[in-house]
Formats: sequence, structure tokens, C-alpha cells
Amino acid sequence: MNYLLETSQLSYRFSENEMILQDINLRVPEASIYGFLGPNGAGKTTTLRLILGLLKKQEGSIHIFGKPFKQNRVEILQKIGSLIESPSLYSHLTAVENLTLLQKIYQCPKERIPAVLKLVGLSDTAKKKAGQFSLGMKQRLSIAIALLHNPSLLVLDEPTNGLDPNGIIEIRQLLKQLSQEEGTTIIISSHLLSEIEKLVTDIGIINKGKMMFQGTLDALIRKQQQLLSIVFETNDIVMADKIIREYELMPVLDDGKIMIPAVSKEVIARINQQLVNNGVDVYEIGIVKNDLEAIFIDLINHKI
Amino acid sequence: MTIPFLNSFQSEWLKKKRSLAAWIVLIGGFFTPAIIILVRIVYSSKLAVMYASPNFWFKQWENAWESMAIFFLPLGVILATSLIAQIEYKNNCWKQLHTTPLSLTTIFFSKLSVIVVMMFQFFLLFNIGIYLSALVPYLVIGGVSYPLAAIPFGYFLRENGLYFIDCLPIIAIQYMVSLRSKNFLVPVGLGIICWIAAIAILSWKFGYLMPYTYTIFNYLKAQTGGRAIKPEVNIHIMAIGYFVAVTIMSYILYITKKEKG
Repeated sequence: MNYLLETSQLSYRFSENEMILQDINLRVPEASIYGFLGPNGAGKTTTLRLILGLLKKQEGSIHIFGKPFKQNRVEILQKIGSLIESPSLYSHLTAVENLTLLQKIYQCPKERIPAVLKLVGLSDTAKKKAGQFSLGMKQRLSIAIALLHNPSLLVLDEPTNGLDPNGIIEIRQLLKQLSQEEGTTIIISSHLLSEIEKLVTDIGIINKGKMMFQGTLDALIRKQQQLLSIVFETNDIVMADKIIREYELMPVLDDGKIMIPAVSKEVIARINQQLVNNGVDVYEIGIVKNDLEAIFIDLINHKI
Repeated sequence: MTIPFLNSFQSEWLKKKRSLAAWIVLIGGFFTPAIIILVRIVYSSKLAVMYASPNFWFKQWENAWESMAIFFLPLGVILATSLIAQIEYKNNCWKQLHTTPLSLTTIFFSKLSVIVVMMFQFFLLFNIGIYLSALVPYLVIGGVSYPLAAIPFGYFLRENGLYFIDCLPIIAIQYMVSLRSKNFLVPVGLGIICWIAAIAILSWKFGYLMPYTYTIFNYLKAQTGGRAIKPEVNIHIMAIGYFVAVTIMSYILYITKKEKG
């Protein structure tokens, strides 16, 4: 597979005893939307800052567009647009001026300025100073800056921070459109899976500086289906456990309940009948829905 | 590197638009001349003799530079340099700048060049101000003739050049500290402390070791009376030496910085 961005054994520490990242092997396929997930403080921003050269690499390697970053920094950055954490805007300049000073560096056509302002819905505020913008508007302008030079790779660190629900939907649609129409590869970090699960094609989950999962969204969904389970609540957990084991299932006792992997409706009915026939009162039979968010939480809590 | 440098310079130049540093250059350039005009209008009775003097332009130059060389120029350079360098910290923009396709060398020198060009702009405005401060009283007050003496362009040019060179080490030191410190008060505070120290050691034998003294020494060089020593070395060469040495040090510190935003 072609990886547009690949890190190998990337590690980083702020001090001798403070390991921030450990052996991060990030693999971002070309033209994918890669969701980089993890709770606050997991190491997402540090990883992205290392990728962009904002932090000095200590261990490991970073290859972007198939080239080592360190030796090809300027050439690689020419094709990357980024938004890292809070917006970076010159508050005494207008939206157009903020874009103009980057247009001069990237030497992209001036027509891109109104075009990206329109894309992020800021056409009417072009002459307003960035310092007078709301947080949501600042975030939109920062996304416009990241898009200005039509980058091949877009690195967005929590880009929906400060946006209202409509704004979040608009940005999602915009990113999808960029990926589908322009083939832009997008890395988007978030601490909420629900926020990006409708957007991404690939996912990397990081916690405490370690990668917990990496793969396609489909692979994560398969994991979710494997993790569906049936729960039985009865008055005699020992007898129920004994009966269920006859079906060669591996019951797990949890909080006075018995959990088994997903089975067919018929099997559930037979187990239920047998429990009742053996004098066990069945209070509840239910499905434990491990949605993606639950899997994400389990992954970061090392339960999987 | 030339084209990226020019692109980066244009971008940096745009950043100072409407900034406090830009206002300092504009107001600083005309402040002393405006005071001179005001004083001359108030004391207009002495102007006829003054304007007829063959030394008029030398006196005019000395009057204009007195407060400028001692107070406004060093303090203005401290403030303007610190403000320009701090624009990125203030706006949380270092990370944006360091992810643009520019080498660190280009970023460092284009920013420094903007400050140096701004200083050049200031000198230009101040010289226009000096001329206007001679012209306006002549136009406003009756009975005053246009100065009879010819403008000593060569002298003015040479002195401008020397003051400009004498500012360079202050620019380099302030630039270095401003790039290192997130807090605006650090470079400004340090600059003011150095300037006060410079005033205090003007009469010390080795006062010339402090680069913040050079504009003051240059102004006081023609004066006698013990306000300051006459440096035993060429302070202008020292200024260039300090500028080059501090700029190299500043550049090394900048490119080796672990965190770039």
C-alpha cells in the first residue's frame, strides 16, 4: 500500500522520565481521511508537531510523500496545509491580509484568497480584523489558510474546536469534498470518535503516547461486531454459568450478570428455555451494544 | 534563496501594517521636529538671527539629534525591534510560520531585514522632519528669511550613516532576546536596563564596551565638559563587530531551538 505519510518508531520525551510518545508507527494512506484519535494529553498534538517539524525529532523517522522530512523540509511543507491547536492569526490584520501574507510565501494565485474565504463561509468578513472574530470564525479562517495553496496533505488538529453544530457539519462536508474531488489526504485529530466517525476512512487511536489501534474504519467496525455480547441476568449465576458452558460458549461473569459472545436468536431462546427448565429465574436478556465510542474507550483503557 | 527571501520579506513587511512598531517609526520620526517647530513659533523673536547664521544647519542638526540620540533613538529601537520580533508570540503564529515552505535562515534574516529597513525608514522620516522643522517656522512666521547657509548634505549623510551603524548592535541584541522570550516585557525590560546602564557609564573609561552607549557617544563626541569620555576606540567599528557577533549568536540560537511553535 502507498502511504503518503509514514512514521517509524517515533518516540519523544520532554525529559528523562517523561516519555510522551513511544514507537509511533503512523501510516496514512494516500487520499484517505485519517482520524487520529486519543484523549486529551495522549500525544496527538506532539505527534503532529513532530510530523510538521515544529518539534525536534529525537528518535525514529518521518517520511512524507515518500521522502525523509528532515532532508526535504521545505519541499514537503510546500504541499502541506496545517492547523495545529488554536488558530494562528495576526489579530491586527484583516482576513484578506492574513491570507495575503501567506499567498506571498506560497506564491499561489491571488484568486485563491476569495475562493478559500467563500469555501469556509467568510466572504462577508474579508475586511474585518481577525482580532474582532469569534472563536468559530477564527477557526474557519485558519482552515482557509490551511487550504490556501491547495495542499496535497492537510493536517488538522482538532479543527472543529469552537465551531457550532452547523459549522461542524459544514467543515465535515468541506473536508469530504476535498478528499473526493481533489484527492487531498487529510489527517484530522480529535478526542471524540463520534465527531469524526462519519468522515474518516482510516483511524489511528493513541493513548499515553502509544498507538492502540490503526487501520481502516471498516476494520474498527468489524472489531465492534466481534465485540457484541449477550447478557443474562438471573437469580442463580452458578447454575446459569454451568448451563451456558454446555453450549461451548465462554461466559464471563460481570457484576452479577453473565455475558457471552453474540449468538443466534435460536441459541438464545434454547439457553433461556434450559435455564427456566432448571429452575433458574431469568430477569433479563439483553444485547450489550459496543458502539465505536465504547470500543474507543475500551481501547484507551486497555480493556481490548 | 533570493526569491523565497523576497517573498518572505514582503510577507513580514505586511505583518507590521497597523502594528505599534509601524506607528513608533512614524511618530518617532516627526516627534522631535514637531517640538522644535513649536518652540520656534513660541520664541519667534530670535529666529531672524538664527536663520541668518552661517552655522544654521549644523545647529539645526544638533538640536534635532540631542533628544533623539540620547533618548528616543535607543528607546525607539528597543521598542520597535521587540515589537516586530514578538508579533509571532503575541498572535500565536510561530507554528504557522514554521510550517510554511521557508528555510529557518530565510525566516530569521527576512524578519531582521524588516527591522533594519524600518530603521532606515525612520531615519528618512526624521531627516524630512529636520528639514520641515527648519522650513515651517520660515513659512509661518513673517520676517524670517530662508537659511542663508547651504545644506551640508555630505555631513548629514555621514552622520546619518554613523547613527544608523550605532543602532545596529541594539537591534541585534533586542532581536536575539525577543526571539527567545515569549514575554514581551523581557526584551523591553532588558533594553531599558541596558539603556539606563549606558547613561550611567558614559564617563567610565570602558563605557564604550556597552553597545547601548554608541548613539549617545556619537552625539556627545563634539562636546567638552566631562559629560562623557571620549572613547579610545572607534565605536562605529565596535558597533559593526557587536552587530555581526550578536546576529551570528542569535541565528545559531534560533535554528537550534528545540520547539518551533
